[in-house]
Amino acid sequence: MAGHDHDHDRTVKPMVDEITDFEVLEIALRELCIEKGIFTAEEHRRFTEFAEQIGPTPAAHLVAKAWVDPEFKKLALAEPMTASKEVGVDWMEPTGFGTPSDFTAFQILADTPTVHNVIVCALCSCYPRPILGNSPEWYRTPNYRRRLVRWPRQVLAEFGLYLPDEISIHVQDSNQKHRFMVMALQPQGTEDWTEDQLVEIVTRDVLIGVALPKAGVTTNVITETRPAIHPGTAG
Amino acid sequence: MSERIEALQEMVERNQVWPVMAAKYGVENPVPPWKTSLDGLCDALDHAACDENVPNFKERRDEEDALSATVYANLPYPENQLVALAHSLVARGVIDEAELKRRLASVRERLEA
Repeated sequence: MAGHDHDHDRTVKPMVDEITDFEVLEIALRELCIEKGIFTAEEHRRFTEFAEQIGPTPAAHLVAKAWVDPEFKKLALAEPMTASKEVGVDWMEPTGFGTPSDFTAFQILADTPTVHNVIVCALCSCYPRPILGNSPEWYRTPNYRRRLVRWPRQVLAEFGLYLPDEISIHVQDSNQKHRFMVMALQPQGTEDWTEDQLVEIVTRDVLIGVALPKAGVTTNVITETRPAIHPGTAG
Repeated sequence: MSERIEALQEMVERNQVWPVMAAKYGVENPVPPWKTSLDGLCDALDHAACDENVPNFKERRDEEDALSATVYANLPYPENQLVALAHSLVARGVIDEAELKRRLASVRERLEA
């Protein structure tokens, strides 16, 4: 190709040059399931493409847009599925072919000066995947799921979020048919920001409710995942 | 469900987990390259769970939690998710252990060809 004069060797990122057992296992399981007729290769491909393209960006856009547009905020709270479509997510057909485990009643939980919302799935790890992407590892752990519903203030403090006693914490438990995300209050000092600037501070953690948006903070908290203690082996 | 499965136990012992592999080869991706395919596999299974032995979404996650906390407590995520799924499918008789062993060998042979 004309003008193609850069050196590929210098631009290729390092890769793992070793076939791991886990890579082999994933392929083996998939092939056996397909051969047994449990699902088709086509179904697997489409679900995998869905998993590859989802992320928290649409949800961040939704919140930022609601902050700068009071009419859109009203729509987001009254008709969250319609508002989701405006940021490119169709909950009725998130993959274009339907994912039953994601078919859901979706609701956006708006924080107020006296109420802070946070989401969990105490049962397993239900998460608003079409609009927020895959859940972080800690969200799936029994530690977070079990303890958040009992001691929300302490668990949030473990994420570095210390809320004063006068702010109530509402823990919303997701399930297979109900998914939620949090719309935090717009932080002070960002009133003249553009929507694109605001998107940067609406992180995944903010959308789950384990962090508050803050000017200058655009990354998620890294938490140490604690191993679950199984009742049968403890003590 | 908590009975050891030899082929999976060997993987735990060989420990080619992503944090070790990524450090060894200087790779920065936070999750292994097979993770999205595993997500697709889990979704496809949940979608298809009509055969009585195939775990439904809740059974799959419950078994993953129980196995990740016990038999595979030393594996990080998402290796524990993958191995727990394999364990569930073998323990439920969806996949035969000998059949899995043979397939692991043939897939490895193909990838190393």
